[in-house]
Amino acid sequence: MTAISIEGLTKDFGVHRVVDDVTFEVPSGTITGFLGPNGAGKTTTLRMALGLVTPTAGRALIGGRPYGDLEEPRRVVGALLEATGFHPGRSGRDHLRVLAQVAGTSAFRIDEVLTLVDLGPAAGDRVRTYSLGMKQRLGLAAALLGDPEVLVLDEPANGLDPAGMAWLRGLLRNLASEGRTVLVSSHVLSEVQQIATNVVIIQTGTLRYSGALADLPGPSLEDAFLSLTAAK
Amino acid sequence: MRTFHRLIGDEYLKLRTTRSPFVIIGAAQLVVILGISGVFVSGRDPFDSETVLLAFSHIGIVSIFSLMLGITAVAGEYRNKTVTDTYLATPSRGRVVGAKIVAYAVVGVGLGLLATLTASAATAIWLDAKGTSLDIGMPGLGRTVLGCLVWNVCFAAVGVGVGAFVRNLSGAVAGALVWIAIVEGMVGQLVEDASRWLPFRAGSAMQGLPSMNGGEQLSQVSGGLVLVAYAGTFVAVALATSMRRDVT
Repeated sequence: MTAISIEGLTKDFGVHRVVDDVTFEVPSGTITGFLGPNGAGKTTTLRMALGLVTPTAGRALIGGRPYGDLEEPRRVVGALLEATGFHPGRSGRDHLRVLAQVAGTSAFRIDEVLTLVDLGPAAGDRVRTYSLGMKQRLGLAAALLGDPEVLVLDEPANGLDPAGMAWLRGLLRNLASEGRTVLVSSHVLSEVQQIATNVVIIQTGTLRYSGALADLPGPSLEDAFLSLTAAK
Repeated sequence: MRTFHRLIGDEYLKLRTTRSPFVIIGAAQLVVILGISGVFVSGRDPFDSETVLLAFSHIGIVSIFSLMLGITAVAGEYRNKTVTDTYLATPSRGRVVGAKIVAYAVVGVGLGLLATLTASAATAIWLDAKGTSLDIGMPGLGRTVLGCLVWNVCFAAVGVGVGAFVRNLSGAVAGALVWIAIVEGMVGQLVEDASRWLPFRAGSAMQGLPSMNGGEQLSQVSGGLVLVAYAGTFVAVALATSMRRDVT
């Protein structure tokens, strides 16, 4: 079963085509790494999938429906797109309170997700006092608030120290073991290699590979990535 | 899909969980107190009803703060990038912006009413010190207060529109303040009598007092209609731009 279906997505910003006819599928219950060099079009693709950016052509479906047609989108898809998408004067807990209300989820879930991301003791502090790693954890907590089946995470490892990376790896594995679907963009290939079953690789807005990690050519993900994204 | 009144409730929770709205509301009360004190210190006759109306007209000045709150409602979300989560939760952007407009129009009423209480207290204290007392049933007072409340509501809606159109918080706040403090006066000199149709001048007409600079002033009703027209225009701009623009 397909959780996320990207069909011919194309985006032009002015005269620049940043995503060009990208098509791939993210199977349910998998962790799919979304890879590409800086400026490859990963973030734009993810934002088009979630209805934040209007495609020039193509469409994206979540569980067979466009994101905008989902009845309770945050209960279906949890997204971490902004590492700094917080009001600095709001406490971490209040940030989640706002999101819980806006997403129509139970306030009881706030403590659960704070525990899940190991941010409980700092929950009452204002976000302006958080490190980047703590903000990433808060962003993950926000993504998990609606207990969604699908997670879309844009560079969640940014700002995490080695212990944080190990924690994130464990978290994503647990989420996948619960049957959730995770689409995660990352530059940390070694991490993706350890957790992903599928990968999608794009460069300069065009698809280079989509499929099982095991089917990638070459001895390692890094070799395959460098080969597939080498300038032509 | 979340009901519209829940979307309005979301806006109030966002307001309550940050300090800046309370700072703005507090600053507005301070401006009212300072302005009213200025009226009585300037030597005006405290027994003249026009002096009391002039004191209460400062409720209208608070509309600048309603404007700021409206701007912050949208541009603040872009500045802090919380707009991403807002639109992810409610992909129907028109409903989000609509809820902000209604929520902040009500905030405008609330701010105006709070300013009315502050103005009543400050005026009563000054009149008492001058050997007289405040007659809340005095002719014209109700119209001045009501006009000022309408001014607050319309400027709050205009603020949401400006915030949605400009999106850059600093630029939107600075632009609005520069318009009120400098540009509208300069344009007014160029267009002379037509300046009464400009937004702040139209708002000033809502105070129901003679023009400060001696120029022709719209009637209170006309001023109200002009303000509603400005608010409607900016609301249309807010809806159009919010629905069309990518959130990158």
